[in-house]
Amino acid sequence: MPKRVFAKVRRLVTGNKASTVLLAGFAAAVVGLSLFGTSMIYTGTEQFCANNCHEMANNNTREFRDTIHDKNRTGVRATCADCHVPHAPVPLYIAKMGALNDLWSHHVTHSVDTPEKFDAQRPMMATRVWTYMKGNDSRECRFCHDESKMDPEKQTEMAKARHTKAKKEKLTCVDCHYGIAHKVPEGPGPQEIEVDKSFIPRSAIF
Amino acid sequence: MLKVVEKIRAVGSRPGSLVVLVLGLILGVAFFGSAGSFMVYANSEKFCATSCHEMSFLAVEHKDTIHDKNRTGVRATCNDCHVPHGYIPNYLAKLGLFNDYWGHFVTHSIDTKEKFEAKRYELAKKVWIYMKDTDSRECRHCHTTAKMDPEKQTDKAKVRHEKLRTEGLTCIDCHFGIAHAEPSGPGPKEIFPATAAKI
Repeated sequence: MPKRVFAKVRRLVTGNKASTVLLAGFAAAVVGLSLFGTSMIYTGTEQFCANNCHEMANNNTREFRDTIHDKNRTGVRATCADCHVPHAPVPLYIAKMGALNDLWSHHVTHSVDTPEKFDAQRPMMATRVWTYMKGNDSRECRFCHDESKMDPEKQTEMAKARHTKAKKEKLTCVDCHYGIAHKVPEGPGPQEIEVDKSFIPRSAIF
Repeated sequence: MLKVVEKIRAVGSRPGSLVVLVLGLILGVAFFGSAGSFMVYANSEKFCATSCHEMSFLAVEHKDTIHDKNRTGVRATCNDCHVPHGYIPNYLAKLGLFNDYWGHFVTHSIDTKEKFEAKRYELAKKVWIYMKDTDSRECRHCHTTAKMDPEKQTDKAKVRHEKLRTEGLTCIDCHFGIAHAEPSGPGPKEIFPATAAKI
């Protein structure tokens, strides 16, 4: 098939139809990039992330419902991708490659296909996300939450005091704000784990 | 230019050459990549709020309002409220940029604070009508009504939100003048899109 297409292109070029070929190449690039971009957007939607496989739908999605990032005073939300997928183009592409791992687990190893298996793996998976977030200073949190635009006057006394302390101690968002959208697993929390640099995926630090 | 075309023809029309196809692909990627990047860049606060002094009047007003600075630091910048988020409406809105160029370079319609203030009501009215027409679509892009928790709202807000649903009002009918200075004159509730000039 590709051989026949190339042969056809060659014939067109030789037959003085170079501009047609040029235009075809241009069109192919535009269509290709559009499809690529659209798939990047679609695979970042709540509809795709939260409901496409029962691993996500039965666990993470249900836990997320009615948390502060789902339902709140103003109705401004953060869905799966906002916290768990990088926003800059190149880290995003790398993260999407990681989704191949999810396909492997779903179709081949079935590693978290029951709630029991999921809960057994929960500490490992949570630790992985915490390490990722600690590794890039909670970059995905900060994409929405602009620290310099927070108004301490609108925060509680406790929050004000703790944020000041956190800055002094060089803590990052997830060190305290963990288990806020999903269940907290048993075991050490983000402040107790050491960041193992080799454990941080490339998409976290690119 | 013609010479370049001749040259490409000469290389491309060599029997069996795929150069032309590859060139087309590269041009397509470059064109689409830059168009897409421009769409993103033209929506950034840096571009919208500081590129021309006309907008800097508005940028100053937006500073420290609830959409700029608040408890959580989650913000809405220029484009979040004023540029549609869907593809086609976004492209159409970007074409409207030419009008801004015209105003900036040719007619100088709002190039001083005085001229700006004189036109403020007209400008505000345009935005209100736009938002009323789309049922405050840009507001709703971030504010999902179905995900608002009335328990977390004040009693006043609860009652009023309940009331607006029965009266068929939209966000902008009450939430106007929240990010920029409010002009004097009738507000959004007094303006009816059907009778007012559409944009």
